Amino acid sequence: MSDMRSEYSKSLIKTGKENPNIVVLGADTTDSLKTSEFGKEFPNRFFNVGIAEANLVTISAGLAISGKIPFASTYAIFLPGRAVDQIRNNIAYPSPSGLKGLNVKLVVSHGGLSVGPDGGSHQQIEDIAIMRVIPNFHVFIPADTIAVSKLIPLMAKEYGPFYMRMARSKTPLVHSESQDFQIGKGITLRDGSDCTIAACGITVRMALEASESLKQEGISCRVLDVFSIKPIDHSILEKAARETGCIITAEEHNVIGGMGSAVAESVSESYPVPIKRIGVQDMFGESARDDEIHLLLEKHGITSFNMVKQVKEIRSKKL
Amino acid sequence: MTTINVGLNYYHIKKNVLRARKLVIQSIDSAGSGHPGGSFSMAEILGCLFNKHLNFNPENPQWEDRDRLVLSKGHAAPGLFSNMAVVGYFPESEVKTLRKFGSRLQGHPDLKCPGVEFCGGSLGTGLSYSIGIALAAKIDSKKHHVYTIIGDGESDEGQIWEAAMTAAKYKVDNLTVFLDRNFIQQDSYTEKIMPLDEQLESDDFSEMWKDASRWKTGDKWRSFGWNVIEIDGHRIEQIDAALAKANATKGVPTIIISRTIKGKSIEHMENNPQWHGKSPDSDIVPMINLELDSQFMIAPSIIAGDMSNLENEIKRCVSGRADYIHLDVMDGKFVPAKTFEHNKIKELRPLTIIPFDTHLMINEPVKYVKDYIDAGSDIITVHAEVNDESSFGEIHDLLKQHQVSVGLAINPDTELPEWSYKFLSSIDQLIIMSVIPGKSGQKYIDETHAKMARLNPVLKEHHFSGYIEADGGINLENIGSVFADGARVFVGGGAIIGQQDVRTAIRDFRNEVLNSRRRILLTKANEFGGSELVDKWIKLHVIGEKQEQIKKIAHEAGYL
Repeated sequence: MSDMRSEYSKSLIKTGKENPNIVVLGADTTDSLKTSEFGKEFPNRFFNVGIAEANLVTISAGLAISGKIPFASTYAIFLPGRAVDQIRNNIAYPSPSGLKGLNVKLVVSHGGLSVGPDGGSHQQIEDIAIMRVIPNFHVFIPADTIAVSKLIPLMAKEYGPFYMRMARSKTPLVHSESQDFQIGKGITLRDGSDCTIAACGITVRMALEASESLKQEGISCRVLDVFSIKPIDHSILEKAARETGCIITAEEHNVIGGMGSAVAESVSESYPVPIKRIGVQDMFGESARDDEIHLLLEKHGITSFNMVKQVKEIRSKKL
Repeated sequence: MTTINVGLNYYHIKKNVLRARKLVIQSIDSAGSGHPGGSFSMAEILGCLFNKHLNFNPENPQWEDRDRLVLSKGHAAPGLFSNMAVVGYFPESEVKTLRKFGSRLQGHPDLKCPGVEFCGGSLGTGLSYSIGIALAAKIDSKKHHVYTIIGDGESDEGQIWEAAMTAAKYKVDNLTVFLDRNFIQQDSYTEKIMPLDEQLESDDFSEMWKDASRWKTGDKWRSFGWNVIEIDGHRIEQIDAALAKANATKGVPTIIISRTIKGKSIEHMENNPQWHGKSPDSDIVPMINLELDSQFMIAPSIIAGDMSNLENEIKRCVSGRADYIHLDVMDGKFVPAKTFEHNKIKELRPLTIIPFDTHLMINEPVKYVKDYIDAGSDIITVHAEVNDESSFGEIHDLLKQHQVSVGLAINPDTELPEWSYKFLSSIDQLIIMSVIPGKSGQKYIDETHAKMARLNPVLKEHHFSGYIEADGGINLENIGSVFADGARVFVGGGAIIGQQDVRTAIRDFRNEVLNSRRRILLTKANEFGGSELVDKWIKLHVIGEKQEQIKKIAHEAGYL
């Protein structure tokens, strides 16, 4: 198990050493996000604006228009949920000649239900929907620390506005160190022919477990890590639809507008097949101690067990 | 030509502010919608920035070392675009594409238009954005400056205050903010919707304007750790001086709280919340343009006062809110009398920032003009009688080089010499003497009216775009007709400085000119659209006593 925030901090410092234009901003959560480490390394490239997320976003925009590459971070609930106007009008909309949006990277922690004890007020289950509907934004959800370490330099290198949502809790590794990450490219973690599970973030591990147990029952289940929700990998999804005939999606997000919706939108226009979206069924979360988070996720059906169940059900609906 | 920052460049700024205001009306009229009120309240601020303080290059809008101008109150886009057109970012005719499909001139400022630094529109964000730019400049040790204009309505937004704290924390002294304090937001007066100063109980918000003890906005910003400068945001010399002070202040950001009038320059728009965001009817547009062309200034002449205490006369002009201070320099040769020389002007200069309108009634002015520049004159006028093309050309170039406005004067018995025609398009001020210079207390020479009538077509033919200053025997009885002749600056001798109460005397002067202007505009309305347009125009004046006053004039003139 490893911690995404620690990896984020390490990756930032490494990337910051290579590129002097990288600056980091926080909003009184810099110890939690571990971005304060960057501040110790580069004190004049680090800004803590206090509990002022709107300000955080817009100052980042001003730095970006001046050639800096700001990484602005706090908890998920306080960025898309709170500062969507600034994200839209100050980052996504302003487009210097020949470019799309400003070069700001919003990297948040504490996405989804797995935030746990802080409760429903702090469990951001709408951010994928909010962020992917804003033109020019890229939306990533890494499944493990390897993904984090690969995506930070990728974001720093590629011009444009990015949103990346990390999990609060430590996560097991699902990728190998040699895994290649590309913007807009999904990753096939297990091949399979009977069904596909498309997952992102903490549900990727669950999908792998589900695939494993389905294998015991003789069902060949493909597993995709759809870490790049926008742009989404249309070709890997079309291929999965064509070759496996049905798709389960799983995310710790409202099923409305989330990764599952993005997959459904894509597949329905390329190769329509039955789809079942696992996720929060248009309701809010609630508190759960760290050792109870699995219960909270279970309440919303976000488990490998439910994935297995849904795979079996959907196979009968194949066209 | 290289310019040396000595004079105020007063008329240059003033003329471009007028051009920009006309373009605002043109663009909004063409668009059929837009925000004239807030474009006009910040017109002088933008004029001073674009025409004097801002470093930029329209040929290379992305020049790395340019100063940045962030219009946070983005709905005043027509004001920004008009100034950008005036200084050459794009042809003036392009303002007619405002808000139209395919135009670079979006309804709110947008990076689509080269030279625009910030996509405004959603209020309250421009200050944070400016801090980002200022911080980036600090990281890179760049010397450019960030200027930001925020509105008082948008100060309702919490993000303004988030940014206010942040700017102080990071000591962004490379940031100067103008608060366009026009007291009006979309719904109504700011002090009714969300008071920045004090809540307004009555409907007469002029009580806020008059009573400085009720202004709390400066205290707010001071308590946030800012350097606060409070000015009248329509007075070019105050904006200029505030910018100089702001640039000299290190370690803290500066905010220049500029008290302004929404819709400034057009009587029916001034202080009227209705003109926050709508376009004037097309039949009113020519009336607006005429009114814009009819702005006027009052310049008391201090030699009409106590010559042994000119310092006190200056103070009286300041408290009387004179537009300029007219300084008559007489050498005892060009005119029999002698007044003072440049040394005296230099002595008086620190007493006020009100522009010095120096009128040189001296022989061989070309020999001495530099002394009067160095003494701190903002406008220098020399006489045609003691110049020829060559000497005036020398004076003209020297003044322009030092950002001092150029004036030419003619005596009552002098006609405008032919050699001056080539200079007319760039002369800033033309003094038409209406008394024999050198003696005070003379009566206005009535023949001057006929002279003005002769002169106007000549000036038009040679593209004179400056201001005519009437000098000599101007009083409450004749000022209206002198204005009607085309004069826009009025030197007041005995009729102002000779009075006990200079402030009241200046106010009376202004009221006389105002009524003369209204009479002229009514005549024009009648000419353009008969009594129907007269009636329509009068009814636009809904704030204060204006409507009744204008109605009275219309009745007297038989237009109603």
